[in-house]
Amino acid sequence: MRCYELLNYLHRRMIVAIAVAIVSAGAVTFSLPAAAQGQLNIYNWGDYINPEVLTRFTEKTGIKVTLDTYGTNEEMLAKIQAGATGYDIVFPSVHMRDIMQKLGLLYDAKVNTLKGFENIDPVNKRSKVDPESSYCLPYAWGAVGIFYNKAEAGEIKTWDDFFALPDKGKKITMLDDLRETIGVALIKNGFSVNTTDSDELKQAQAWLLERKDKISAFSYDIVSLVQSGDVAAAHWYVGATLYTLQEPDKLGFVIPEEGATMYQEDICVLKTAPNKDSAIRFLEFYMQPEIAALNTVQQVNGTANKPARDLLSPELKANPNTNPSAEVIAKLQIFEDLGDDLRKYNSVWTKVRTAQ
Amino acid sequence: MVLKSNTRRLGYLLGPTTLFLGIFFLGPLAVMFVYSFLEPGLYGGVEWNFYHWNYGRILGWADSEWEAFDPVYAEIFLRSVRIALTNVAITLVLCYPAALWVSGLSPRRQTLIVFLITLPFFVSMVVRLFAWVLILRPSGFLNSSLIGLGLISEPIDIIFTETAVLIGMAYILLPFMFLPIYASVEKLDRVLIDASSDLGGSPRQTFLRVTLPLTLPGIAAGSMLVFIPSLGNFIVPDILGGAKVLMIGNLVEQQFLSARNWPFGSALSVMIMIVMFLLILIYLRRVGRAGQNG
Repeated sequence: MRCYELLNYLHRRMIVAIAVAIVSAGAVTFSLPAAAQGQLNIYNWGDYINPEVLTRFTEKTGIKVTLDTYGTNEEMLAKIQAGATGYDIVFPSVHMRDIMQKLGLLYDAKVNTLKGFENIDPVNKRSKVDPESSYCLPYAWGAVGIFYNKAEAGEIKTWDDFFALPDKGKKITMLDDLRETIGVALIKNGFSVNTTDSDELKQAQAWLLERKDKISAFSYDIVSLVQSGDVAAAHWYVGATLYTLQEPDKLGFVIPEEGATMYQEDICVLKTAPNKDSAIRFLEFYMQPEIAALNTVQQVNGTANKPARDLLSPELKANPNTNPSAEVIAKLQIFEDLGDDLRKYNSVWTKVRTAQ
Repeated sequence: MVLKSNTRRLGYLLGPTTLFLGIFFLGPLAVMFVYSFLEPGLYGGVEWNFYHWNYGRILGWADSEWEAFDPVYAEIFLRSVRIALTNVAITLVLCYPAALWVSGLSPRRQTLIVFLITLPFFVSMVVRLFAWVLILRPSGFLNSSLIGLGLISEPIDIIFTETAVLIGMAYILLPFMFLPIYASVEKLDRVLIDASSDLGGSPRQTFLRVTLPLTLPGIAAGSMLVFIPSLGNFIVPDILGGAKVLMIGNLVEQQFLSARNWPFGSALSVMIMIVMFLLILIYLRRVGRAGQNG
């Protein structure tokens, strides 16, 4: 008898666990505090804004801030598309903000008429859909390069150096992101990271498959493994500078000579934002050079705010990764929205990941 | 009268659960089933057109530029089944002797051990898996211990391999194998074992012809409970396999997020569910028959 009781109990538990999983995955209608006076609900990547910026904003304006986070553009889009309301501003990458604008999810905040917009570097107006930055404010940008452990990897300058490490018995990892990792293969083969040409993609696929055995893992979570030397070098974001500045003798980051991808996020106001006034006040607040600089010092990436760059420490200003030369910037490619052609990338990615 | 009020009471008691499962369990399943026959929207979501190519890609009749059949999906599925079955075997070998041993202890100790086995559930699975990354990495606990003991001179490569995935899966799902087996071993009538040896059965014969058949329902239940979550798991292959050991769960996740193809993800899920459903059917029949015989 007890056996069946326990079995029933376990079955119930399992069903409840599945139900809970489905409910939490499907619970997409969020109810955040509704439009109250002096409220701003931010939906941002994890650890992608200096908390001090938000504290100062509240001190200055009396507007209370809530912060929710996401891990990928797609996760954020899926939630907003499924009807998540209550958020005022989001921080999509440029290609994703283009998608969101096409889908009618963004509010035209007339950003380029706001006070402080003259501080924004025109180079950072990267949107194809909104070239004059009327909808969104260029926020921050950076390169995606190689984060390495100097003791294990020696000096790394190129992707070739990176892929030579496994032959010396060292581990390397790449990002678990189809655009980024296929992007490296495209760059090494001399193609655009936004190509939709099937033959070019096939070459990139073959190139990656040849190296599949050398790549130990596709992962974002490798910082501690590079620090410990278990992974000699990893395809990672310029945010790694945070760690290389702490241990400059041990850790390094490089934008490979052959070129690399770059990312940029913009701050956008959602069409469904309950607190559009607060959102616009935040955009104006963030366009002040000292606030943008405050954020950049903590985030160690590139800022779109030109005068803010002059306020950085000489150490950061001279850093070739966070503040690369024009020559290096010219070798960085940014992702564009591919529409239906994304499926070609997806099929390459599935093949690369399944190959034994 | 008594019967009637009992039926009514049962209705009251089961009503909320039925309603809850109906809305939050069957509802989403129905949505998924419908989506699996629709055209993918350009940026996620669906277009309301009938679209059988989602299944064509898996089963073999799609051959356009956009929707091509690829045996890779069946391959991933078979690989997942293989890993899940291996995991069932590992957990069974670990749990069966342990359950036999535990059932011979004093009741208080038994309670304590069952509590200890469920203890890890109090900590987030992701946190526990990251702990395994620290244990299995080349400079981690396992390798430094083995080197310290002089058993190996070079660190063994475990992290980001299928072995690491199997270790992680077995670790996560061990309690689901242990508890049903323990329950069936615990209710085993010891008199039958004594009777078997009194009648001249060797320990081996006693085990094979008395203990094993009587605990079979527990083994079957444990195997199901381990097999199903192993098959769909995508967190363990991501964290411990370094996303290099692609399982069917990872494939579904990829469709819903980075590929933005919800219908194809739904079609894959429906295919998995059909297979699971058939397995459960076989299981219920077998156990039902065993119950009748017993």
